[in-house]
Amino acid sequence: MDRRVFAHVDGWLLFAACGLACLGFVNLHSASVAAGHAYHWRQLQWFCLGAGGALALFWMDYRLLAAYTAHLYLGTVALLALVLVAGKAVGGSQRWLSLGFLNFQPSELAKLTLVVVLASYFYNEQHETYRIRDLWRPALLVLVPAVLVYLEPDLGTAILYLAIFGSMVFLARLRASSVLILAGLAMVAMPLVWKLLKPYQRRRIETFLNPESDPLHAGYHVLQSKIAVGSGQVLGKGYMAGTQAHLNFLPEIHTDFAFSVWAEEWGFVGSLVMLVLFTLLLYRGLLAAAEAKDRFGAFLAFGITALFFWQFLINVGMVLGLMPVVGIPLPLVSYGGSSVLVSLAGIGLLLNVRARRFVF
Amino acid sequence: MRPSLRDAGRVLLRLRQLDVKAREVNRQRCEAAFLFVLLCVVTLAARLWYLQIVKGTELRARSEHNRVRLVRLQPPRGKLLDRSGRLLVGNQPCFNVCLVREEAKDVEDLLGRLSVLLEEPVGALRERLILGRRLPLYTPIVLKRGIDRDTLARLEPRLFRLPGVSVEVEPLRKYPHGRLASHLLGYLAEVNEAELAKGIYPGVRPGDLVGRAGVEAQYQKVLSGRSGVRRVEVDATGRLARVLDETPPLPGSDLFLTLDLDLQEEAERAMRGKVGAVVALDPRNGCIRAFTSVPEYDLEPFAWGLTPAQWRALNDARTRPLQDKAVQGLYSPGSIFKIVAAVAALETGRLAPQTRLTCTGSFRLGRRVFRCWDRRGHGEPDLYEALVASCDVFFYQAGLMVGVDELARYARAFGFGRATGIALEDEKAGLVPDRAWKLERYGKPWQDGETAIMAIGQGFTLVTPLQLAEMIAAIANGGTFYRPLYVDRERSPSGRVRPGDAPEVVGRLDVRPETLRLVRRALRGVVADEEGTGHACRLPDVAVAGKTATVQVVQQSRRGQLEELPWNLRDHAIFIAYAPAEAPELAVAVLVEHGGHGGSAAAPIARRLFETWFRGRPGGEGRGRGDGGAT
Repeated sequence: MDRRVFAHVDGWLLFAACGLACLGFVNLHSASVAAGHAYHWRQLQWFCLGAGGALALFWMDYRLLAAYTAHLYLGTVALLALVLVAGKAVGGSQRWLSLGFLNFQPSELAKLTLVVVLASYFYNEQHETYRIRDLWRPALLVLVPAVLVYLEPDLGTAILYLAIFGSMVFLARLRASSVLILAGLAMVAMPLVWKLLKPYQRRRIETFLNPESDPLHAGYHVLQSKIAVGSGQVLGKGYMAGTQAHLNFLPEIHTDFAFSVWAEEWGFVGSLVMLVLFTLLLYRGLLAAAEAKDRFGAFLAFGITALFFWQFLINVGMVLGLMPVVGIPLPLVSYGGSSVLVSLAGIGLLLNVRARRFVF
Repeated sequence: MRPSLRDAGRVLLRLRQLDVKAREVNRQRCEAAFLFVLLCVVTLAARLWYLQIVKGTELRARSEHNRVRLVRLQPPRGKLLDRSGRLLVGNQPCFNVCLVREEAKDVEDLLGRLSVLLEEPVGALRERLILGRRLPLYTPIVLKRGIDRDTLARLEPRLFRLPGVSVEVEPLRKYPHGRLASHLLGYLAEVNEAELAKGIYPGVRPGDLVGRAGVEAQYQKVLSGRSGVRRVEVDATGRLARVLDETPPLPGSDLFLTLDLDLQEEAERAMRGKVGAVVALDPRNGCIRAFTSVPEYDLEPFAWGLTPAQWRALNDARTRPLQDKAVQGLYSPGSIFKIVAAVAALETGRLAPQTRLTCTGSFRLGRRVFRCWDRRGHGEPDLYEALVASCDVFFYQAGLMVGVDELARYARAFGFGRATGIALEDEKAGLVPDRAWKLERYGKPWQDGETAIMAIGQGFTLVTPLQLAEMIAAIANGGTFYRPLYVDRERSPSGRVRPGDAPEVVGRLDVRPETLRLVRRALRGVVADEEGTGHACRLPDVAVAGKTATVQVVQQSRRGQLEELPWNLRDHAIFIAYAPAEAPELAVAVLVEHGGHGGSAAAPIARRLFETWFRGRPGGEGRGRGDGGAT
């Protein structure tokens, strides 16, 4: 192990990640009291486990991953398929594998796997710019898990995979003509996709476009979330004093709507603090990608940053009523073992890539 | 292919560093990406600004509304007490199952589950919900009132799985004396849609109970009080988190009725198993002391919702429990009317007090023979004797002398044919026939025979027991008709006492004092004299004056076999009386449907009332045990 690696740890990235984790923990404590479950203590256990994993991923040379992409990919796809066969259903979705003492969500792992696999692909298939026909293989690599996850059903995560793919293609650079063709294809595909959506998914999108149309059902969550956020005003209602969360008007306060709890209790100022921390994290992540010494590292860092970014954008956008309600956790803030592990693993890899920019 | 560690090392070595140009391209892409990130973050921040700063106040208010519920606090209804403050109707806590629709996710599913838990048809629950459909969604609607403790125990642990459902406590009527005076006191029932639409009851909401009959209905406004409001914090499922503040309800005022509990109880005991009515009032002011219509009915089930079986029982055609026979029952006055005929004859000068008319047991008018109740005849009675012995033949003749129109005029003077004005719903006016009436009603001229039977209280004339009580009270007090009153005083929640309605003179019997004196003397004789028909009401130390009547329900020809007649063909028994004769303070009218003879079926009931009334009073000691009554 090279000592220089430790000497080049990105303090700002670590600071942003730890800061977010701390805010997340504090917030989860309030949500736990409201929900009557000790989510925060379990989350702390996940954090500890994840920190160990992150340290391990930081320790090893990230380039080693490139050698195991096939195993990683096939293993992940197998797990996703297993979920559909033997998964544990919660609330109508079959997303978890029960390992007896804990439940594991392979779709979370798949996020990171896809980043690694795509980074590896773009490293191996290097072009100045890419044409559409150059992309069918990586597209297929993404579509397989995306379809499996969509079948769970978890539309949000499936879309997230596509977003990560899109982001990494952005870094790889697509020809302008291909961009236009893809845009055209997307327009054409839109009605078809609409047909493929399940009724509740369509309703969510309809409700998103017109939230007041169904205030007691599909629109309820967003409406209550907006009330929670807005009622926080400048300085918030105070820690543990969020009435929307504590009187159960908000759904899923420990997972999808964690940010609402935060915004209600800490107000505009507190919300900005969280946005700034996320921006810092994303900035340092992109810096790691920009300064990576090799193409694999650049794509890896960019993909992980994209992963954080899209989750952050979709989750906060949903909470603020800017996006349809999809079950995407807020990294490091939402409760969830798999999510925490994958997020911390991502942080570990980002630190890894960043620290090794001088190592060659 | 399984990569060995060596293979991995090879991969590591193969990773080429990026050249300067490629790194520059990467940097540009990352910068562009960061710009996009910044744009998105600024958008999110702007949205936060909009929600928290621009719309903050409004959304704060909405979050307040979200958690704060206004719970209406039902005031306890004013109590009903007797004249000396003994409780007639009180309140007890009652558990109601309520639903807040806003918090119920799937109302139909909820109703289905509640139906099982409450053992109530879904349709009935849904009807309650429909009744309250115009209320705000957060207002609790009573789905079932007055659940018992078993149901409560069954429901309570399941409430958390029934979002929107709650159990609310409400004060409900308690009747410590059961069915006592049910027709006068009246019952409560849920306000209906038509009443709500018309806004008859200000402040009343669906599911509220309102007075539906008797005192409860007439004094609804006084008794109901004013609702309070409690501001409570609730969670999303409507469960109470804490109470914020409270404006207490203002209870209704208590009403002290003019009723005397002892007298009322005695009246009901005396009438047990019978059908009819008893009205006792103070002839000096019209205050009602006892008021009963039998059979009575339970008041409580009305508020809780009647079962079909209870409803069927209440609609029994034979005994008509729901009818308040004291004010809605119409009966021929029978021999009571002889008082009217006597007064009319004296006042019109057709008869002098000493005029004697022959009674041989029957009287022929044209081709018809009219019989006296005593086939042996009464000889040659004067007016006094005829009244005492209730001689029919005497009054056939007296009536014919007076004529139908004069009879009708005096009947009206005695208060017949018009409502007494008591504050009770559906009081009947009765009927006083005359020539014009018959012509209009039947298109036929009046017959003399009809005058003859009218004079003995048969025929078309119809009166209510309350009218009979008013009549005897007027005779007792020298001819004044008071509006019957039943509220003595009112006590506000603060303890301030206000007198009830003042005695109100509604009519005066415009006859010469000597006429009235003669009538009163004769009524005294009815009870006191050996030939009197009302001696069953005789008391040793209190002078009672009264008049009996036996009202035929079937033709005279069949009267011989009275005892063998089916119940519903038997005569009605009536007795009206007042006491003490010299200074009357209680006037009583007793009517027993199909009870038989007035003297034997109704007079003893009146005696029991007088005994109760005068028990423990100067001159009344020891007479309460029934040891002094005539046989």
